[in-house]
Amino acid sequence: MRRLPVYLLLDTSGSMTGEPIEAVKNGVQVMISSLRQNPQAIETAFISIITFDSVAKQVVPLTDLASFQMVDIKATGTTCLGDALKVVSTCIDNEVAKTTAEQKGDWKPLVFIMTDGIPTDDWQSGLEEFKKRKTAYTVACAAGSGADSNLLKQITENVVSLDTADSQSISKFFTWVTASIGVTSTKVEDGGKEVTGLGELPPPPSELNIVT
Amino acid sequence: MTDIKQVVTKLFKSNNISIPANKNELFDKFLQDEKNAASINVIVQNLNELMAKWKLEDKVIEIMQQPVRVLNATVGKPYETKFDFNKFNWKDIVAFEFKGLEEVGLRYDEKTKQITGVPTQSGDVKVTFRFKVDGQPEDAPFNEKIIPFIINPDPKSLWKNVESDKNDPHWKENDVTKFAPLGDRHILVSSKRGRSHANVGSFREDDFAFKDLENGWSIVVVADGAGSAKLSRKGSAIACNSVVEFFTQKESAEGLVQFDELLQQYKNNTGEDIQKKLNHFVYNNLGKAAFQVHKNLESFAAKENIPLKDLNSTLIFTLFKKYDVGYALLSFGVGDCPIAVLNKDVTEVTLMNWLDVGDFGGGTRFITMPEIFKNEKFATRFGFKLVDDFSYLMMMSDGIYDPKFVVEANLPNIKKWKEFLADLGGKNEDGVKVELKADNKEIEQQFSRWMDFWSTGNHDDRTLAIVF
Repeated sequence: MRRLPVYLLLDTSGSMTGEPIEAVKNGVQVMISSLRQNPQAIETAFISIITFDSVAKQVVPLTDLASFQMVDIKATGTTCLGDALKVVSTCIDNEVAKTTAEQKGDWKPLVFIMTDGIPTDDWQSGLEEFKKRKTAYTVACAAGSGADSNLLKQITENVVSLDTADSQSISKFFTWVTASIGVTSTKVEDGGKEVTGLGELPPPPSELNIVT
Repeated sequence: MTDIKQVVTKLFKSNNISIPANKNELFDKFLQDEKNAASINVIVQNLNELMAKWKLEDKVIEIMQQPVRVLNATVGKPYETKFDFNKFNWKDIVAFEFKGLEEVGLRYDEKTKQITGVPTQSGDVKVTFRFKVDGQPEDAPFNEKIIPFIINPDPKSLWKNVESDKNDPHWKENDVTKFAPLGDRHILVSSKRGRSHANVGSFREDDFAFKDLENGWSIVVVADGAGSAKLSRKGSAIACNSVVEFFTQKESAEGLVQFDELLQQYKNNTGEDIQKKLNHFVYNNLGKAAFQVHKNLESFAAKENIPLKDLNSTLIFTLFKKYDVGYALLSFGVGDCPIAVLNKDVTEVTLMNWLDVGDFGGGTRFITMPEIFKNEKFATRFGFKLVDDFSYLMMMSDGIYDPKFVVEANLPNIKKWKEFLADLGGKNEDGVKVELKADNKEIEQQFSRWMDFWSTGNHDDRTLAIVF
């Protein structure tokens, strides 16, 4: 069976303390339980969580929805987005199966990045690594005024922004991510077609601004 | 005495009273005073009690705060997971019970230290672990620890079966299974709407057709309408019918007569360039049929004023005829549906076509694409085989090929075909058996049931035609 790998890169730097980090945790929980109700998603989608603060780490390896359990995450430290891009590149190498004559590989991974600040590390070198990996699409979300949408634009053309990083906006972002994963898993299962960009995803809610 | 002395000294010290050496004797006497000794006793007792109480509370809090995770369960699937106190380092639990397990069909077995059972309902269940630790009075209330417990819905139950719109001008029956004589053999064929289509009430996009032609030829056609094309259900239907129609025409039937002569030459190895002539024959006759299909689709698209790609469909067809020397098989294929011939004792498989599988999923080719006729590979889309005999001729859409053969590399492997036949013969999860015998009165029902096999992630339309 071909899996649909989904990587969530979540900013857990100090500035996320309080309402934002709680909203992120809650957002992931709600996302997982609602995807479990979607027959296509529960069979194809595999989720991994990578957090980044002073260092990036994969806190949940690529896991099928049925076995997925969210771990506790805490906000602390700086914003090593570059490290996160390196970590996700390594994870894609290790976890996403390639198609060969003898086996059907996985679908190209989906990557969602959410950050509320400006990277504090050498993010370009991380980006260089990340660009070598193939994804179906990467969506970056600039949460609140502290994030730099233009910088995220260099990582992916699909950038959305939230005016404020409050729990309502963050939860809307995750609702939209949920719908996007749902639509993508349906498309790959039905038509054997991969989704390639924002245009094929459900329209974002009004809280989410598409950065052009 | 020294104990008491120490306690009081410490107590005094913490209140900035120290006992100098010259007052030591006096201090001893002070401690020995009956009233004072009683006071000290009370203090010591209270202190001990306080400490014991704290230790007890601390034990409880440790257990309460320790994150405990249990494996997620799934409705209807036998569940079993260790819940071992020792592993959690809970040594002081003297009494416990679980609340909320039985309600969802599970229980805790103290002997095996396992939670087992078959979950009956899905959701984020809150199981309460009620416990008492060593030292708690017998009548003390239980401590309650909430353990988050996830029970997934049974994926099979999530798929809806929504009726397709019968008023749609291009409506197609969801499931069709047929058994009929064909030539001197029989055909068993089934085409079923996939769960992904049933889930949203859309239509079956696969199709098939078969017919006995004049002059001893028989034909079987399978077409798989593209999931991304709006009217592909119509495209596959037109494709199948057009092929049959083409070979039913007088000129085509006459064309096929020439083959008898060519085959004779082929068999006797007489006549010049006989292989070339045969290839030419197949190319001409079957190529015309394929082009006719394309034309018909084109004119339908024009009539309906829709883009031709809305009718995107793959197409495979096989003609076969029995001769004294064996069976002649002619084929054409565009797309990713295989045609396979298994020899009499199932020790060899012959693939009649190659598959258009792109570098990525969904990169197949369709009969609607004009470029396939101009492409240099067009000539290789035809097949001709003369075989002594065959046990099965199999034609299938990717809805069968994907779950049962997975990759192209498995198709030339006779072992995989033997497994496939064993699967049809009942060697499958549900034990559904199809007895491939002409006198089997239940054959259609058996086959229809078999076609409903469960395969995670494979819910496309399924079509399988077996000539035996």
